[in-house]
Amino acid sequence: MSATASHLREPLVTGGNPRLGEITDAIVAPMENKPSGLWWAAFVPALTLFIAGFSTIGFQIAEGIGTWGLNKTVGWGWDITNFVWWVGIGHAGTAISAILFLFRQKWRTAINRSAEAMTILAVICAALYPLIHMGRLWFGAWWFAPLPNMRGPLWVNFRSPLLWDFFAISTYFSISCVFWYFGLIPDIATFRDRTNKKLKKTIYGILSFGWTGSNRDWSHYEIVYTILAALAAPLVLSVHTIVSMDFATSVIPGWHTTIFPPYFVAGALFSGFAMVLTLLVIARKTQKLEHIITLSHIDNMAKVVLATGMLVGLAYSTEFLIGWYSGSNYEGFIFFSSRMKGPYAWAYWTMISCNVISPQIFWFKPFRRNLALVFVMSIFVNIGMWFERFVIIVTSLNRDYLPSSWSMYSPTWVEILEYLGTIGFFFTAYLLFVRFLPTVSIAEVKMVASWAQKDAHASSHHHAASGAAAAGLNPVPASPKEEVFHG
Amino acid sequence: MASAAHAAAPEAATTELREFFVGTFAEEHQILEVTNEARESGLPIHDCFTPYPVHGLDAAMGLKRSWIPYASFAFGCFGFFLAFSLQTHTQFVDFDMVQLWKGWPIIIGGKPFLPWPAFVPVFFELTVFCTGHLTVLTYLIYRRILPGVKPKIHIDGVTDDRFALALDPTAAGFDEEKARALFAKYGVVDVLTVEGKA
Repeated sequence: MSATASHLREPLVTGGNPRLGEITDAIVAPMENKPSGLWWAAFVPALTLFIAGFSTIGFQIAEGIGTWGLNKTVGWGWDITNFVWWVGIGHAGTAISAILFLFRQKWRTAINRSAEAMTILAVICAALYPLIHMGRLWFGAWWFAPLPNMRGPLWVNFRSPLLWDFFAISTYFSISCVFWYFGLIPDIATFRDRTNKKLKKTIYGILSFGWTGSNRDWSHYEIVYTILAALAAPLVLSVHTIVSMDFATSVIPGWHTTIFPPYFVAGALFSGFAMVLTLLVIARKTQKLEHIITLSHIDNMAKVVLATGMLVGLAYSTEFLIGWYSGSNYEGFIFFSSRMKGPYAWAYWTMISCNVISPQIFWFKPFRRNLALVFVMSIFVNIGMWFERFVIIVTSLNRDYLPSSWSMYSPTWVEILEYLGTIGFFFTAYLLFVRFLPTVSIAEVKMVASWAQKDAHASSHHHAASGAAAAGLNPVPASPKEEVFHG
Repeated sequence: MASAAHAAAPEAATTELREFFVGTFAEEHQILEVTNEARESGLPIHDCFTPYPVHGLDAAMGLKRSWIPYASFAFGCFGFFLAFSLQTHTQFVDFDMVQLWKGWPIIIGGKPFLPWPAFVPVFFELTVFCTGHLTVLTYLIYRRILPGVKPKIHIDGVTDDRFALALDPTAAGFDEEKARALFAKYGVVDVLTVEGKA
């Protein structure tokens, strides 16, 4: 693997060559200082929503699923919409961490940690919905698991995609947690070694697992991290593939579609990157990490949003093509009448404008680097992708095969509050994360920052290059060095 | 030498405090060069301590490539086997070997009992689940990196901005004068004697 900092690309850490200690200082500063007013301004409403939403869940469990607006025709509504939306958001973290890691995309280092945290929180929000939508979840929760029981035994049905989902989501959640925490261990040790508060030293001491920075540990560590990345990369693709099979293996028009797995994966990455952008545009400002999460990071992410947005657009048009070309009246009816012109057409057109049309502005570099615009666009994508799932679920269900069963669906206050509650939980937990754990991978940023120094070093000291050669290393080729880094 | 490096893993280690002769450096290239020369000149290297994984340091220390991937492969096979037996037994095989429980193949929508394509998602998920978790557990237990464990050695700054080379003064071939001269040659910041566990 080449460790050369390319002089064709912008540096990954801007503002000259920061010393290693300065990187530590910048990243742990939010953990050492008192939270700002801005932090409280975000935390209090988030916590309020969280408490309100989760109390509503308690009410719903006590009262039953009848508190939701579902009916016999529309049996899935906001619950599964929110489930798929949150799972999708949870995809960017692992994509950034694992897939970009395997492809040696060094720019991931500044953003992977917070994206991983986001993944875990989003998957918690998602996993909540399959549990609570069963109503009596004290039965349902363990009906999922293939446990021996007293009914024959009557085992779970491994031919059902809903069961595949149970395995996919639980594997994804637990592997994401391990991946995230495994990356955190050295950084927690960094904080343990620099804090002089007794309580913090004890807590971070326990959490850092006795990490010393020993190269005998690092030597295996990197291999294990790579194995985890290699496992997580196909895992992240499998999760939304399996979620899409919940729909695709049914016989409902608009769901019964072979294109669903790649279509859902692209959509998941699209919404996930948008949510990472939403969070990072705020985080880099409030945590003063502009030189580590640089504009070129934002630019790269906007390019991914553009690419995945167009994949999603391609999937939408393919569905229409097949709706017409298959000659299936039911498919054609769903796409051309129910979705485009039916009672939920407003939702459909919201989806198209947010997901397909508006991301096109990211073709232009000035827009990709305009933070306010990127922020607004990321919110648009989040909204658009929520509507995508709503459109898929509700417009396919509300027009049944039997016109006498046709029905409308709208959420009750319970569903709305529960949804807001998951958003509240997500932001509450994320804000706690930025207070108590390093939001950027300190060790990895030091690694990428060191390349710029190596570059400088190789051109100025000849003995270093020869020393490196003696150590069996690829000497870093001397390259023209830009004196001024621009961000 | 190389095999001894990994074989001297914590299993064989004593838990008593010992002294190590440590030089700390400010630059990545210094630690690479000094470690490389220390190994070549026969000074007994205990370990290096760095704030991030320094590429090339394994070669400089003479460490072998990790054996953990072989274990991972075995864990993957185990996960696949688990998924295979779980699905075939619960869906099809009348599993009453010791009368623990008796399977009950159910007809669902006239689907076959052993539709292997339907089993693929769970094959994959359980393989990944077992490989990932067991690999990390293996690493953490092997390296004794566990919740609440006290660091075996503490050298100021190595989790921040220092790179340290620790030599073992009790081992054969240690020569303090030679070590000091070598450290100085590569611009050592501090020469320390640090207490720690092996």
